[in-house]
Amino acid sequence: MLEVVTELKRFKVPKEPGKEVDKKDWINKDQRVILQVENLSKTYYQGKIPVNALRCASITVRKGELLAIMGPSGSGKSTLLALIGTLEKATEGRVILDGIDLTAVPEKLLPRVRREKIGFVFQHYNLIPTLSALENVELSLRFSRVPKKEREERAKALLEELGLGDRLSHKPSELSGGEQQRVSIARALANKPAVILADEPTGEVDSKTRDSIVRIFKELSEKGQTILVVTHDPEVAKECSRVLKITDGIIKDN
Amino acid sequence: MFDLIIRNIMNRKVRSGLTVCGIALGIFAVIVMGAMSENFHQTFERSMSVTSDKIRVFAESGVFGGGLTDDKVSDVLRVAGVKDAYGLLMTTFDEDKMGMTGKQILGIPPEKSSVALYPVELKAGRFLNPGDSYNVVVGNNIQREYKLQIGSKFEIHDKYFTVVGILDYTGSIFDNAVIIPLETAQDLYNVGDSVSYIFAVPDERVDAEILSKRIEFSVKGTSTLSPGELEVQARESFMIFSVITISSGLLAAIIGGLCVMNTMLMSVAERTREFGILKAIGAETRDILLLTLGEASVMGLLGGILGILVGTGAVYLMNSWLANTRIVLFLITPRLLIIAMLFALLIGALSGLYPAYRASKMSPMEALKHA
Repeated sequence: MLEVVTELKRFKVPKEPGKEVDKKDWINKDQRVILQVENLSKTYYQGKIPVNALRCASITVRKGELLAIMGPSGSGKSTLLALIGTLEKATEGRVILDGIDLTAVPEKLLPRVRREKIGFVFQHYNLIPTLSALENVELSLRFSRVPKKEREERAKALLEELGLGDRLSHKPSELSGGEQQRVSIARALANKPAVILADEPTGEVDSKTRDSIVRIFKELSEKGQTILVVTHDPEVAKECSRVLKITDGIIKDN
Repeated sequence: MFDLIIRNIMNRKVRSGLTVCGIALGIFAVIVMGAMSENFHQTFERSMSVTSDKIRVFAESGVFGGGLTDDKVSDVLRVAGVKDAYGLLMTTFDEDKMGMTGKQILGIPPEKSSVALYPVELKAGRFLNPGDSYNVVVGNNIQREYKLQIGSKFEIHDKYFTVVGILDYTGSIFDNAVIIPLETAQDLYNVGDSVSYIFAVPDERVDAEILSKRIEFSVKGTSTLSPGELEVQARESFMIFSVITISSGLLAAIIGGLCVMNTMLMSVAERTREFGILKAIGAETRDILLLTLGEASVMGLLGGILGILVGTGAVYLMNSWLANTRIVLFLITPRLLIIAMLFALLIGALSGLYPAYRASKMSPMEALKHA
């Protein structure tokens, strides 16, 4: 019974004629729609005053897209990412990721969604300072109950792929900003997520490191990894396959 | 997950160390106070088992009120259902120390000494015999303290007695008893034919409680204490003593628990962002609970082990130190060790409960925004 309840498949969007996700947006196997955001809104309250952080946002993202989300501070970029990432609950609308209606998934199952479907890359890296690079990458695999040997191997392979093979046992404080961000990317990739949500991933690094991070994202995108990048940096946006602009919580250009 | 728990504790060595010391101090108090209570409990249980078949007959005015004399023994003996009766004179051995050492002079009719002391056995020598006057049977602790042997001379109230018997260790009041013939004791303390109380032994198949009431009714000027009443009275005193000792230990342990809670709350507050990260990368509520509760429980466990080790060591040292005075104050029992350990774990886990709940209920987004 519990198995049935915890089964995310329950929240799969049915493949019915007329349903955009399955009919209209399936172009071919490699370019299927992986993320569909429909009329997503988020209203916060500052005391009794409502603040519309995001208004009726709708986007469609195909598998392997590297999508830049740009806009001024406070425009709703990070809110959009937080809503897609299930870190916050939408006031209205829905998010369909890899065929699953995330807005219908109960709170109890959201950690599983985050583990299996989403990878986060943060501006401030957000690595656990007391753990080594390898252990940081292993962490989400640990929560997925992946056996120790397997998770070590997977984490090691990811770090080596990102050029950190010689930094496995280093703590975040012993790594440069660029290295920390690469560890953070490896951690995001560990569970083979449907989408990587990167919030200002180059905000804390120099231009050389920024370029290397963007290069990693491009390579991952070419291999079919979908990535949404919130950025202020036009140099980053330039390298993305598509740019989305948000102003005052409204998507202006899609 | 256990490795993460240990690492989190080790990463805050000073704070974790102080917290563990706080719990250890509480458990130390539980062990020391508990050991005192356990010793008292054992002495009580053994004393009860040695004297549980006898009815005590006192003067109506109480054991120190006087008025109970040898002739009352005959009166008690005449009561139907009384198999045997004899008077005893009880006084403190070391009057200058107000009896604080627990040593007692027990004047017993020599011919009754073996039955009066039953089931206590002799380690050496014999019980008192009819005709003995300045002969003495000593308890185990007295023998060890004064290094007595059969034939040794032993001074009581400026008179020399010959040791004729040494009692086996009982863990009861008889370990500190100096047993001399009743008449000699009466002469020595110049009390005439007074006795402190009379032991009445009920016939087989006679209910001691009923007989006790019958004696009280038949022998004027006496009050009795049946084995059942004695047990109730003694248990009440024991309970009061236990409550005082154990509660002072528990109080210290609870303070240790608050220490853990404080540490865990600080730790949770400091790691708000970390919990946000863990949630963002897919940690379940139970993972966060396990991490936080695990830390508190491990600190409780470490505090418990340390407290038990230090407490047991302190009890051993104090017992060794008190061995010269023949006072045994502490007794460590397996039951006490198990209770102390469980209590340490419980305190750790309970103190971690609220911080763990707070950590698990954090919104990941709010936690990530935390500086």
